[in-house]
Amino acid sequence: MHDVHDVEEAERMGRTRSRVFFVLAIVFFAGQSVYFSSSPATRDSSPRVGAWLILVLLMLMLLATGGFLLRGRKVRDLLNDEASRHNRLASQALGFWVTILSALAVYVESIFDPVTFNEAIHIIVTLGVGAALISFAVRERRAHRIG
Amino acid sequence: MAERLANRLKTEREARGWTQAELAARVGVSRKTINTVENRIFVPSTLLALKLAEAFELSVEQLFSVER
Repeated sequence: MHDVHDVEEAERMGRTRSRVFFVLAIVFFAGQSVYFSSSPATRDSSPRVGAWLILVLLMLMLLATGGFLLRGRKVRDLLNDEASRHNRLASQALGFWVTILSALAVYVESIFDPVTFNEAIHIIVTLGVGAALISFAVRERRAHRIG
Repeated sequence: MAERLANRLKTEREARGWTQAELAARVGVSRKTINTVENRIFVPSTLLALKLAEAFELSVEQLFSVER
């Protein structure tokens, strides 16, 4: 049997986590819209691509673990219990479908308008990872609110 | 027609005067999970269904049923 205090702590951290993930995904998408609206000549500067890469890796780690930065084993286990794991798997599945569909869309687009390899990867990864993270945040927020 | 898992979680919990957080602590899950099971959003695993039944000292069949 767990302590009610741990459950309440997990509840508080869970709500914070869903808010942080949602904001992170929005900031990520906003950053990428700035990236794609800039001129192709300056678009692929090292700091920009590096920042994108770090953010993508961070988001993937968060999606894979449900929050590897969280402290406290007992609270982390409560936070990542079976309902959360179910939400995470469903979000990862959505991310998979968004990745495949955006890859197909980029393929069709490249027939009419040349798309560089880097651009294609950037678009596909951005949409796939961003959609998965937003989906997880929304599912978790909804689960907290119901009732 | 789709089958759904009905449950008596809220009734049994309230009869015992437990909050969702207290029940969550007894079975080792988050309050959110209890909330989503009570509201039939989330179908619990066999393991969680057994733990919930054990917490209420009921059988799984007394706590859960298939709604057709």
